[in-house]
Amino acid sequence: MIKTEKVLHLKSSRGRKVRVVREHYLREHVPCYSSLCQAQCANEGKVLSGEVTHYVMPDAGVARDFMEILEFREIQGIVFTQTACQAVQHSRGRRQYNRLRSLLKDPRHHCILFANEFQEYSYCPREKGEPQDKWQTRCVYHAAVWYHDHLAGLKPVVMITEDQTAVAEYSSLNCGVYVLCTQEYLQTFWPELQAALELYCSIAQSLQEKGSEGTEREYTEHLPAEVLEAGIKSGRYIQGTLNVNKHRAQHEAFVRFEGSSNKSSELTVHPLPELNSDVLVCGGKNRNRAVHGDMVAVELLPKGEWRGRTTALTEGQGEEKGDETQSQPMATGRVVGILQRNWRDYVVTFPPKEETQSQSRNSQRILATPWDQRIPKIRISTQQADKLQDHRVIVRLDSWDSTSLYPNGHSVRVLGRAGELETEVQTILIENCIHVPPFSEAQLGEMPVSSPESPWSVDPAEVITRRDLRKTHLVFSIDPRGCEDVDDTLSVRSLPPGPGGQRLELGVHIADVTHFVKEGSLTDLEARARATTYYLADRRYDMLPAVLSADLCSLLGGVDRYAMSVMWDLDAQTMAVNNVWYGRTLIQSSYQLYYELAQALLNGEEAEVPELAHLPPGERDAKLAQLTQALETLTHVARQLRAQRDRGGALELEGVEVRAQLDEDRNITALVPRQPLEVHETVAECMIYANHWVARKIHESFPQQALLRHHPPPRQEFFNQLQDSARARGFTIDTRSNKALADSLDRAVDPQDPLVNRLLRVMATMAMSNALYFSTGACPVEQYYHYGLALDRYTHFTSPIRRYADMIVHRLLTAAIAMEKGAGPAKARASNKELEEVAQQINNKNRAAQHAQKVSTELFQCLYFRDKDPETDERCVADAVIYTIRANGMLVFIPRYGLKGAVYLKNREGQVVSERQDGGCDWQTGSLQRYLDHITTTTAAGTSTFNLFQHITVRISVQPSRCHSDTIRLEVVSNRPHQAPETQAQPQGARGRSQLVQEVVRQAEEASQQAEEKRGRAPKLSKEEREFRQSKCPNLYSLLEEVRELALLDLAACGAGGGLGAAAQACATSA
Amino acid sequence: MAGLELLSDQGYRLDGRKAAELRKVQARMGVFAQADGSAYIEQGNTKALAVVYGPHEVRGSRSKTLHDRAVINCQYSMATFSTAERKRRPHGDRKSTEMSLHLKQTFEAAVLTNLYPRSQIDIYVKILQSDGGNYSACVNAATLAVVDAGIPMRDYVCACTAGFVDETPLADLCHAEESGGGTSLALALLPRGGHIALLQMDARLHQDHLETLMEAAMTACKGVSKVLDEVVRQHLQVVSALTGE
Repeated sequence: MIKTEKVLHLKSSRGRKVRVVREHYLREHVPCYSSLCQAQCANEGKVLSGEVTHYVMPDAGVARDFMEILEFREIQGIVFTQTACQAVQHSRGRRQYNRLRSLLKDPRHHCILFANEFQEYSYCPREKGEPQDKWQTRCVYHAAVWYHDHLAGLKPVVMITEDQTAVAEYSSLNCGVYVLCTQEYLQTFWPELQAALELYCSIAQSLQEKGSEGTEREYTEHLPAEVLEAGIKSGRYIQGTLNVNKHRAQHEAFVRFEGSSNKSSELTVHPLPELNSDVLVCGGKNRNRAVHGDMVAVELLPKGEWRGRTTALTEGQGEEKGDETQSQPMATGRVVGILQRNWRDYVVTFPPKEETQSQSRNSQRILATPWDQRIPKIRISTQQADKLQDHRVIVRLDSWDSTSLYPNGHSVRVLGRAGELETEVQTILIENCIHVPPFSEAQLGEMPVSSPESPWSVDPAEVITRRDLRKTHLVFSIDPRGCEDVDDTLSVRSLPPGPGGQRLELGVHIADVTHFVKEGSLTDLEARARATTYYLADRRYDMLPAVLSADLCSLLGGVDRYAMSVMWDLDAQTMAVNNVWYGRTLIQSSYQLYYELAQALLNGEEAEVPELAHLPPGERDAKLAQLTQALETLTHVARQLRAQRDRGGALELEGVEVRAQLDEDRNITALVPRQPLEVHETVAECMIYANHWVARKIHESFPQQALLRHHPPPRQEFFNQLQDSARARGFTIDTRSNKALADSLDRAVDPQDPLVNRLLRVMATMAMSNALYFSTGACPVEQYYHYGLALDRYTHFTSPIRRYADMIVHRLLTAAIAMEKGAGPAKARASNKELEEVAQQINNKNRAAQHAQKVSTELFQCLYFRDKDPETDERCVADAVIYTIRANGMLVFIPRYGLKGAVYLKNREGQVVSERQDGGCDWQTGSLQRYLDHITTTTAAGTSTFNLFQHITVRISVQPSRCHSDTIRLEVVSNRPHQAPETQAQPQGARGRSQLVQEVVRQAEEASQQAEEKRGRAPKLSKEEREFRQSKCPNLYSLLEEVRELALLDLAACGAGGGLGAAAQACATSA
Repeated sequence: MAGLELLSDQGYRLDGRKAAELRKVQARMGVFAQADGSAYIEQGNTKALAVVYGPHEVRGSRSKTLHDRAVINCQYSMATFSTAERKRRPHGDRKSTEMSLHLKQTFEAAVLTNLYPRSQIDIYVKILQSDGGNYSACVNAATLAVVDAGIPMRDYVCACTAGFVDETPLADLCHAEESGGGTSLALALLPRGGHIALLQMDARLHQDHLETLMEAAMTACKGVSKVLDEVVRQHLQVVSALTGE
């Protein structure tokens, strides 16, 4: 069976050359993973289809340097040899190798691995004195020949290499096996794939440039990995992730320790009290080529060189002078080595022509500025510099040698001209690592057919297995008006009285997405990769294809739909749960209500229910009474449930916040300004209840591998700012527990100014950490607690159309039910480890989605204000509330636009703002004094004071930036509340942000249309894209929940300015 | 540089074996004429030589004598040229002493010592080339040598190692796999009865996995026993042909 052979390896360990002999076993049968195989290979898993024109086999060099090209999904039929894979592993490290591995595993890519070195006939031992790359090329060639013969010559095999001598040597040896160089290959076989060729040129050029580097050393060398590892173990170096301060990208970076579990050991190693916070890394030399996000090892500097973090607000990219604004010195260190690079794709902007003149003519090396301020400038060599100036381009970093001041990169794809709406939106997506290609043919092929000609219908086989609620239950949905993706419906009815008294049955019915999306199918993989539906200010990218999200899985009124239901048998008085039923059902929603209508029915007002419009009056009244009765019961139940939770200490940080944002939301504002409806809370409460009970169920059934969601209690020190601010107004905030916090926040109301309470709640929210998904096996039981909701178990179950986590929970619940029925574990569930990985991935994607949403909102704000003249336009002057005092300014909140930002009281010339007699402000020379709860400016003209929570008037303007996103800039106009003509301000205020978005979109579309007319180009928004925006916004429940979850921005962003904005904006845009 | 990938996604190990496959085993008995029994074994690149003297009278201090059974004396050593870097001290260091003790325990469990009261059996094992699984090579070699010496045993003692990578048990680890830092379990088995003569494990392992790992090691031991049996039978044929019986 096995034949032994020996290979010799020369290997050095600890610097010494050692000759190591390793065995190498060869075998006759190595699976070829091709569907054309004639020899009955044991092909399992992914198999190359026989429908491609040829198979391509990259040699080691190509796999090593040009992997990105092979990642194009269009290039099919790739056979990676083991030789090439090992070359990648050895020369490119684990990260690149893992990328290759995931490529091989991903069924969407048509590539396989052929273990050529273990195949008896395709293996060729390395000859004495043969250089490694020659040997590798020879191996790959032999493998290609074998592969071709193995498939009995059915498919030509193309080997691609960068080695011209190999092309010359091998190309004519065998017919059917072609040897080409990569460029030629791309030109011949994929002429339509222009992007691949461009990418090839760009990589090739940057490789070429790499050879001709200067030798002058700019940075100290990194220490070798063994030294670092030993150093970290001994406590000499500290391991952590590098976080660059966005506002002082050149100077400040922090190294955050790994996880909290490490922290305790870290502290034992360093008995310094300062070390329980981050380590500061000052300046470029100390940062030593580390880029934001890299895992680094730092060495602490002697205590004398420690510095503090800067507390002043920085204006744009202005340089900070002097150190007077620094805080207490904190642990400061320098980077001695990089453990793991964490480079992603970056968007950069090419400089305009005049800046590139100094370079030589044909191969230009250009310093491009990344969009993300935390990333250093990237040096790119390209011949297209002229063409690309002022364009945004995706680049990847290649290397950063100690001899070079900037990292080297190569361009990947051009996004478009900077400043155009489409370019900017794409930039946001790329910068947040969000990839949303249109759904592929194969994925759409998996979907059931539903078209006007052949409408989808219920499968009779399914009817038998499901509980049929169509006749027995009154099911209805409540969503925002015009919503198309209804994923939750409700039902409530009274049951015959039991031994305990009156009983109620409450039912929550969720769209059964997992019935349509089988685990492991292409759609499932895509959904898992996306993890959530992305909402940007003006568009959305769905997680599932439209046929599911807007049709088959949407629980529309009057049609039969599959659902996943949770039904409680409740005691009508105490709401104690007698029994819970979980299972798959068949429902037909009778009414598709919207919030305002439901509230009107509850209030007993006249309301027109569209479903009843055509009925005769008598019948209509009877039905209406039935529906109203159901709604009333539901409200009653929800109130009770809410009260139960409140007793446990549920936080109501969101209530006020949402209310504020609601009047700016287009759907709701138009109808119900100011007042949020109770029915919102009713629906949300039912959903929370369902999530909670499902969490209990799956945790019970799968104690080690259930996907739950927890919200860790916040660290007390984060509440300091909140407590200080509250004290300025005479309130005390008790933060010892969530209940205490909720109570004290309720008390902290200023009758004169409702905004104070609102801002306090926002600040409380900022202090919290994010709610996260986790696998139960990965966390001790005490940590399952959901702080914000005050529930011991929580998960996400109710929105499977737009969240992947819910789909996992649905599958878990299905498995739990099957297990209960005694079916036994039909299929192995994902293990704890796998589930934890998925949970992490979903968490990351959620964070990215939130961030993208926030940035896109900011983008639209800027676009809105860009065209207004701040001096003359009334809309650019607004009322603002001060909520934080900083050394040279303060952070303010503008209720009218939901904007937050920094206001400077001192400009770069050292002038400060001073108040004139009439209340207006101007710049004069003077000094600035900061106190805990107010800040004063003193000039020759007098002193002016700005208090916490004081209302002032600011002017909003836009600070344009070529390479980065534009920023909103605020200036003090007067330190009195803004007095706008009441008649004008009111409608303006009501218009709010959504109006703003619409207006900007319209402007952009007009502009692009004009441009199109000139150039005669195709419209930028494809038809599909328009269709995919089914409902402009998700339902209100999601909004409520979003905030309820307190899923906020990362704390780093809270640093100097604008951080507070995120919370409110997240709320606003998810609406 | 990335650490070695001990088990690839396709299920191959570093040297091209699958998870449950053993290395190639070759063995010869009766390599030396002077000793009572001797054997030479190659398990992949691990090569071991075993020599047995006895049973004979107890040498040295008489106090060691046991009145109801034979004393087994084992000595393990490694040739200075057996590893990639020349060894300074061929025997007598801690590792060797421990190994000697393990061998002694193993063979006390297997040899029918009560047939030879007040006597002594000496087993000397030398590793000529080391490439992982030294203990198992020694046990296997010594078994053959004891058989060659004609000393009755309950059964062959077969030893094999097993490791655990990516939730998969790997049989018969080579040096690169052993030094990877993962769990390594050495098992000496009396295959016919399924009795365990010695079990030793380095590094930590979740107890849920122990069962599967033991299972893998036992299967591997049974594989080795087949090879040893074959070797013994072949040797017997050759010897009987020589003696003309």
